[in-house]
Amino acid sequence: MNDATVIDIHNVSKIYNPDTIPVHAVNNVHLHFERGEFTALVGPSGSGKTTLLNIIGGLDAPSEGQVIINGTDITSLKPNQLINFRLQNIGFVFQSYNLIPVLSARENVEFILLLQGVSKAQREQRVQDLMNAVGLGDKMEVRPAQLSGGQQQRVAVSRALASKPQFILADEPTANLDSRSAANLLDIMAQLNHDEGMTFIFSTHDARVIERARRVITLEDGRVVSDKAVGVPTKGGRV
Amino acid sequence: MLFTIAWRNLWRHRTRSLAIIASVALGVWSGAFIVSLYYGMGNERVRIAIEEEVSHIQVHHPKFREDFEAAWNFRLDSLDEAMRKTPGIKAWSLRTTAQGMLANAAGSNGVQINGVDPAAEVATRKFDGFIVDGAYFDPEKRNQILIGKKLADKMKLTPGAKIVLTFLDPEQNIQAGAFRICGIYQSSNAPLDERNVYVKQSEFNELLDMPGRGNEAAVLLQDETFLPAVLTSLQQQLPGLQVESWRSISPETDLIISSLDISSLIIIVIIVLALAFGIINTMLMAVLERTREIGMLMAIGMTKPRLFSMVVLETIMLTMAGCPIGFGLAWTVNEWLSKNGLNLGNIAGNTMKDFGFGAIIYPDLPGFKVGQIIITVFITALLASVFPAWKALTMRPVEAIKR
Repeated sequence: MNDATVIDIHNVSKIYNPDTIPVHAVNNVHLHFERGEFTALVGPSGSGKTTLLNIIGGLDAPSEGQVIINGTDITSLKPNQLINFRLQNIGFVFQSYNLIPVLSARENVEFILLLQGVSKAQREQRVQDLMNAVGLGDKMEVRPAQLSGGQQQRVAVSRALASKPQFILADEPTANLDSRSAANLLDIMAQLNHDEGMTFIFSTHDARVIERARRVITLEDGRVVSDKAVGVPTKGGRV
Repeated sequence: MLFTIAWRNLWRHRTRSLAIIASVALGVWSGAFIVSLYYGMGNERVRIAIEEEVSHIQVHHPKFREDFEAAWNFRLDSLDEAMRKTPGIKAWSLRTTAQGMLANAAGSNGVQINGVDPAAEVATRKFDGFIVDGAYFDPEKRNQILIGKKLADKMKLTPGAKIVLTFLDPEQNIQAGAFRICGIYQSSNAPLDERNVYVKQSEFNELLDMPGRGNEAAVLLQDETFLPAVLTSLQQQLPGLQVESWRSISPETDLIISSLDISSLIIIVIIVLALAFGIINTMLMAVLERTREIGMLMAIGMTKPRLFSMVVLETIMLTMAGCPIGFGLAWTVNEWLSKNGLNLGNIAGNTMKDFGFGAIIYPDLPGFKVGQIIITVFITALLASVFPAWKALTMRPVEAIKR
């Protein structure tokens, strides 16, 4: 592990029904991710992409192995510590956007900053900057229901970035988007990756995402079958 | 922002929330109305006890209330003097009483014979206003008696009829006197009307051979607030006598007042408990419908105490929103009824009077009862929120997000 390493995964396995008919959703995976990566986890349905993403994000516990994020073994954290760790270190983008429908776009982004205890002035500035960065500066007070799928996902990206996380985990972020919205979203994420060195890890089936990725990890039956660096290096990161 | 989220969440299912708010409002209104009716009845009972029965304070020989015999008497002039000197006293009536028998050719009935000063009795409890047949005492006529309507009905007596009173004098000798009924009275307490008859004190004292003496003084105060001071003052001025407030003289009235608090609280608790199930059901639905959202909140870093607070807050808001509406309804109805009264005589007939209550009730909702209802509803909301909030806490974000 070097200074640029953000995530270190050691011998991680996730076994469902260990006492009856064991199913290895993730099987003895070793990976490490460095700052500024733009990585796609690919593979057929049931290959373990989402499970691995959930384990990296601390949403699910591995049956075996360790996940070390910035030197912290998150598998040893207590549930409350883990929630706080996620709040401070990990940004999430979900397939179904998962915005809070009763809050405006601005409030959705601001909410995570409130959870972090950021001051009002800083919150306002950060939200404004992020909403501008995703091209929704004029939709701040609009509720999610009045936004298109692509716009909602851009708000979700803003929310994920708001807490200044170590990395962002995006589970099938373009799955519900039309090609234009998907391209637009990928442009934004690539830009943030390039300009701010933000680490993105996607799970995806989408060829458009895979095309833009700098590293593609292929999973099958819970195992890493290939891990390729593609394309040109991103700012501050590795390929 | 938890407040904002909780408040806005209420209106995600407007109809459902409005139904709960309406049921809480109706519950609060019905609770407040029943409580105010209870207090109205209690106030009426106290008013009757003070204005028509026992007055604020009574003075007796210490042994009088053991057997109500005429033998336990005292000089009246010293009492008169004490009453005059004590501030806060509006009127007083000195009485001579004895247990006896009222008889005519058709039958007899046990009674308490009250020898009263007609003018003092009117000043103390407006006794002339109770006459429903015949007339009050005529100063020019002798041997007049007032009997209660219930006794008159029972013995088929009418004004002008002659009766004989038999009683024991202080020496335990049997005495008797013939009286003519001048009037029939009806107070708000039918059992007392059956038991008490009134004659002029001067004539009764002659028959008892105890001139200038009596065995009861009833004291009406200018206001209830004078009670402690006057009670203390009279106790100091009349050391050999027993000076008691209406609460001691009429313990059943005091019991009614004391039980009002408990019984009204029980009614409120029953009402809000019934509401609690509706609230739990609604909040449980609200939580389960938002499983994915709750999963997302936990995933992005919302701690369990915050999540718990959000559900509790939402439940409290949903419940408490009904309170102002319920109290508004209660206030409107009470305002109207406090002017017009609620005539229970139409429903209950004479039953109210048989239990010493007036037929017309003026509802009264004391401020502390409003506070008690609000606190009860708040606690109910708090308790009702626990199960839905716990349900939210037990969700695992990884599973909840998939829903």
